This record gives sequence, C-alpha cells and structure tokens, in this order.
Amino acid sequence: MTVILQNLHGNHACAMGAIAAGCRFFAGYPITPSSEIAERMSRELPLVGGTFVQMEDEIASIAAVLGASAGGIKSMTATSGPGFSLKQENIGLAAAAEIPCVIANVMRGGPSTGTPTRPAQGDIMQARWGSHGDRPVIALAPASVKEVYDQTIRAFNLSERYRMPVVLLFDQVISHLLEPIELADMASLELVDRPWATGDSAGFEPYASTETGVPPMPRPGDGYRTHTTGLTHGEDGFPTQDPEVVTRATQRLLDKVENHRADIESYECHDTEDAEVLIVAYGISARAARAAVRRARGQGIAAGLFRPITIWPFPEEALKAAASKAKAILVPEMNAGQLVLEIERIVGHDLPVAGLNRIDGQAINPDEILQRIKELAAK
Amino acid sequence: MSNLEIRFGGSGGQGLILSGRLLFQAFVMDGKHAAQSQSYEPTSRGGFCNADLVVSGGEVDYPLVTAIDYLVLLDQIGVAPSAAMIRPGALVLSDSRLVPEPPKGDFTLYQFPFTDEAIALGNHRAANVVALGALIALSDICDRETAARAVGAGTPKAFLDLNLAALQRGFDMADDLSADLTDNAAMR
Repeated sequence: MTVILQNLHGNHACAMGAIAAGCRFFAGYPITPSSEIAERMSRELPLVGGTFVQMEDEIASIAAVLGASAGGIKSMTATSGPGFSLKQENIGLAAAAEIPCVIANVMRGGPSTGTPTRPAQGDIMQARWGSHGDRPVIALAPASVKEVYDQTIRAFNLSERYRMPVVLLFDQVISHLLEPIELADMASLELVDRPWATGDSAGFEPYASTETGVPPMPRPGDGYRTHTTGLTHGEDGFPTQDPEVVTRATQRLLDKVENHRADIESYECHDTEDAEVLIVAYGISARAARAAVRRARGQGIAAGLFRPITIWPFPEEALKAAASKAKAILVPEMNAGQLVLEIERIVGHDLPVAGLNRIDGQAINPDEILQRIKELAAK
Repeated sequence: MSNLEIRFGGSGGQGLILSGRLLFQAFVMDGKHAAQSQSYEPTSRGGFCNADLVVSGGEVDYPLVTAIDYLVLLDQIGVAPSAAMIRPGALVLSDSRLVPEPPKGDFTLYQFPFTDEAIALGNHRAANVVALGALIALSDICDRETAARAVGAGTPKAFLDLNLAALQRGFDMADDLSADLTDNAAMR
C-alpha cells in the first residue's frame, strides 16, 4: 500500500475524503467556518467528472443533494449551525425516503447566527433531534485532520450501507487546523455502494424489508416502479396511516441503526482500564482532554479518556466498560451541557457525572480539564 | 522534547496565517510533528487574527497555544489576546510602527520596523515574511535554507521574488541586531 503524506487543512481533508469516497455531487451555500469544504469541492469535483452547484440557500442545497442522490450519485453538502437548522426538514425526508447523503456541519456558537468564526460544539443535540419525529441518526465527530478524512469516507460508506443521512460534526479548530496526514492510496480504500435493486421489476416493492433491514434502491432508469415520499409508507411505497404498517415501517428505519450498532459505533480509549476519573470528550475538547490525561498520569492520578467518534448512536456499552473503575466522569464540551445528559443517562445515578462547559467561543484548554480532574480525584 | 509554541498575532489581512503555514511547511520539511491553527474575526480585513503553531516530539495532543515560546506581533490588536499566554523567557518580536504599546514582562522583546522594511521592498504586505525571517534568524526553530524552501513551495509565483527578498531582509535585520548585541556586550 502506498502512503502519501500531505499537509491538509481540516476542511480540505473533508473535501478530499468525500472525493475519495466517491462523492460526485456537492450543493451548498458558503458559510463560515465551513466554506473551505465548498471551495475545495468546487475545484476537485470538475476534475473527476462531478458536479458542484452553489445554490441560492441552505434549504435548496440539501434538496439538491437529495435529488442527486435519489438519481444515483453519492452527494453531500456542508454548512454551519444556522444552515444546519435550515436543512433539518430535508434531513428528515432523507431519513424517511431512505436517501443516502452526507451533511458536514462545522459547529459555531449559537443560537441563530451566533459567533461565526468562533469554535463551539453546540449542535450535538440538534444532530440527534433536530428533525421531527422518530428517525435513525448517525453523527460522527472527528478530532484530527486525519480523522476528518477517514470519517468523511466512513460517513459515505455508512450512509450508503444503511441508506440514510449521515452527519459529520466538526468544530472550527479542527476544520481550520493544518496537520500532516498520511493518506492511503485510493485503491486500498474500502468503499461501499448502496444496495441496488436487481431482478424482476414485476411486483417490485421499493421498501420491502430485507435481512439487514435496508431495502435495495431502485436505480432510476432500470424500470422499477417506486415512490419517493416523506409520508409514512408501506413496503409498496404508498402512503399509509394503518397503525400496523406505520409501526413496522418506522421501526424498520430505527432498527437500521439499532441492529447495526457494532458496525456503526466507533470510539477510542486512552488509559481507561484503571481510570478513576474518566473524561468523555469529542472534537477539539478531546485533544485538550488527551493532554490533560497525560499530565494527570504524570502526577500519579488515574485519569482516562473515552472519546466517542460516533456521537450518535452513542457507544453505550463501550462507555460502560470504560467507566467500570471510575469514581467520577467529567464531560468537557463547548456548549452549556449537551452530551453530558446522554452520559448521565447511560451510567445511571450511581456514578457522579460533571460537566465542564464553555459558551464563550474559546476552546477548552488542557489546564482547565486537569484542574477539574484533580478536584474530582480528591473527592 | 516538550512542545514548542509559536504565534503570529495581529490584524486580519496581514498574512499571519500564511506566515504560520510557511513555518509549518518548514517544520514538516525538517521531519517535525507540527499542527497549525488559526483564529480570526468575521471581518476579512482588520480585527484580531492569529496563526498558532505547536511543534511536538510526537503527534501533537492539543494544537492550540497555551504558553507561547515565540510570539510575532504585527499589530497592536494582537497584543491583548496573547499577552497573558507568553511564557517566561519567551522571545517576542513586534512591529515598531504598528505595535506602539508592546507587551511587557519576563521575556525578551525586540521591536523591528517590519512594515517599513516591507514598504522599502515594494509591498507593505510582505511584512509577515520579513517578520518570519527575523524570527527564524533569532531562534533555532528551523534553518534558513529550509525556511527559504518552504517560502518557495508556499508562495504564488507572482510574489515569489518579493517573499524571498522579504525573508532575506528579515534574516539581515536579525543579524544586524545580533551583531549590535555582541558589540554592546564587548564594550561592557
């Protein structure tokens, strides 16, 4: 395997990862701090026969992405919090109509247009619950430029395999970070394409359940009868409000994620085996936490880091295992306390869970985390 | 090796991020582990801006600066956000015209006419590279030849001659200062 060393900026790594994953359509509306993803895609896509469209707004962008993907092309958009809000309805449509797509959201401070150039991690819960109703969700949060590249590829693969939208959550520090990264050559990448319908078109049911729960997608032009709709539909694609059919259809959507957690969940553990103070952190906050854990260990404190890369579905069992020796958990995040709620839910009330929060547009630094580790270790 | 932390601070549009990238490129050419981050305000010209580098013996844990070893200041607006992070014994270089009130503390401060020298070279916008040259010459963070190669690799053709001249001007300014310091020490 040839390895190519490149110096890449986080947002450019996202664009290059998308191209490597087979993305050939991007529609977007530039917004800080995500704009370099669109900029890079506008240069790279024409070189590989793809299409870049700068749309009139965020809603049109995600709508165009769904259209392109329904047409059979791997597609993505990129945005920041305000645009992510606007895209929610169509993200729900992508979940309901099972249209694969990738949405990169470089989080900035909110609410509303907030603090455009400052880092934040305020969209954790929006990624989970931003679109109405019960729907399957996959959201990934890389913590380095290399991981931005790898997880962007993985986002496409998951989105294709399970026919659903996948969200990438970056923060401004990671998206504007320049780091040297090793890229595997394209030939060695494992790329996934959505299951395509094959066989007889007579009697074809576009949303028929399969062993994996993922129905094969009818490729436009192949002659299959299908229906793309946000209305809850049966296996035949016709809208229905029949309680049994509605339950089965909605449950199948949710089970695509629930039944494949082992494939979808990813995380990293640093020094968790004997950790008495366990940090749970993601994105740039995890980089600070890693430095803090190293320093704490140097001072004889049994600290460890559990870093979810898959934020949704949250790797619950892995967290429980990592927390088996913990006396306290600390969740540093650049919001007023979002993922901490999920951690509390998972570990229950026996284990104290504390937040460490910043909502001032400044990254959490290792010293702040180390200070809290010491306080929690002393208790 | 403990981390080495470097910041270029000033006003948006001064080329601080380019300085950071060029130095990052030089470190990578030297086989060092580095991460370069940036922070700026919504205005594309004016407003606080900085480019940070963290150089480490291995993969960089936390890529933002927390205790600055080398600080280059090209505008007064860069002083306030950085002053509290300067490590004792650090080296601080500031523009003598655009930073009328440089930070004070337990570190070495040299004031240089980076912008005036860039104007003399024909373009005030090269002040970032003049300052980069002075920083490299006054520190041993990377050798001059590697820096010149990095500037060559990271500069658009139209500005290559200007930037190479600016880098050399920075080296020369620093060498003149070093010679003066040696003379003064000899006189004592």
